[in-house]
Amino acid sequence: MYADICGLLNIQYPIIQGAMAWISDPSLVSAVSEAGGLGVLATGHLDAEGCVKAIKEIRERTDKPFAVNIMLLSQFADEIVKAVCEQKVPVVTTGAGSPGKYIQMFKESGTKVLPVAPSVAIAKRMEKDGADAVIAEGCESGGHVGKITTMALVPQVVDALNIPVIAAGGIADGRGMAAARMLGASGFQIGTRFLVAKECTVHQNYKDRIIKAKDIDTTTTGASTGHPVRVIRNKLARKFEELEKNNAPAEELDKLGRGALRRAVVEGDIENGSVMSGQIAGLVNKEQTAEEIIKELYGQYKEVMKNTAV
Amino acid sequence: MFERIREIIADQTGKDADEITMDTNVKTDLEADSLDLFQIINDIEDEFDIKIENVEGIETVGDVVKLVEESKK
Repeated sequence: MYADICGLLNIQYPIIQGAMAWISDPSLVSAVSEAGGLGVLATGHLDAEGCVKAIKEIRERTDKPFAVNIMLLSQFADEIVKAVCEQKVPVVTTGAGSPGKYIQMFKESGTKVLPVAPSVAIAKRMEKDGADAVIAEGCESGGHVGKITTMALVPQVVDALNIPVIAAGGIADGRGMAAARMLGASGFQIGTRFLVAKECTVHQNYKDRIIKAKDIDTTTTGASTGHPVRVIRNKLARKFEELEKNNAPAEELDKLGRGALRRAVVEGDIENGSVMSGQIAGLVNKEQTAEEIIKELYGQYKEVMKNTAV
Repeated sequence: MFERIREIIADQTGKDADEITMDTNVKTDLEADSLDLFQIINDIEDEFDIKIENVEGIETVGDVVKLVEESKK
């Protein structure tokens, strides 16, 4: 039932750092990969040139495998895929659509493909399209989310597919990993916990806000546009809620959202910027190096698995 | 074939099959989000034992029917 994700991706621990736009840059990615997990570069805010530069920077810092996340809705998706294949990046994760039309290119460059899927039907589609494994992501995640919780989604995806399933959404410690394992997941994608890694270059205000967050501090905005996003409920999020309650047109919501993530990540404006975060932020309460995080996660996971008996 | 596709779409979107024509817009008229759309495609693929390509461009029910016809060739 369980697949060997470490063997598939040539990594030491079955821990994948979730891609976070503007946040998971070469510094964080190389630190996670160097520590034995799989660092994932976010490219949603990059063009192909910026992507190649980042890939080279990662390779200067580590010779371990890493991944590039490709937002398939990005206007630069075609050229980024081409660049990723030319650079022979070992793994890609994909979001916002199906990587089907690129699968042949990825196979030729030896790149493993891990699409993110928020439902069984989408996961099945990804398997048919030739994915190597699927990341089943529940709506506890930060950023763009689906509608189904990790607890409900993962076992249903596991039952529907013949390829390995990686669980994502709501995992920030070894207990979460063990729970996901029980649901049939072979690997774990973790975002929010890595956001506060010492090597993560996000603005300190953003990190402090995550560390301070309680269980009820996130909300989803933008459901009316068909693309809900999980964020910390700040001034910006409340403005969104107000507009949506009054059925404001999509253009007005788009306008409010434009540049908002950069405002929080780069400028540290955590009230008027978009502070994307998973629901598990309440469990994340200290800055550590990526290596410390991975060792602690895996140690606790092994401990929980060992002590679990009915 | 249109009848069966229409039933599958009506079933997923909670609309009456009679209201659905070739010109019905999946997103605006039927209020289907991407989760609904992929579920519809999945169900149609299972029903007709086909694989539908280029799902991204779908706007109307007619587009779905056309893709199914192309996939059956």
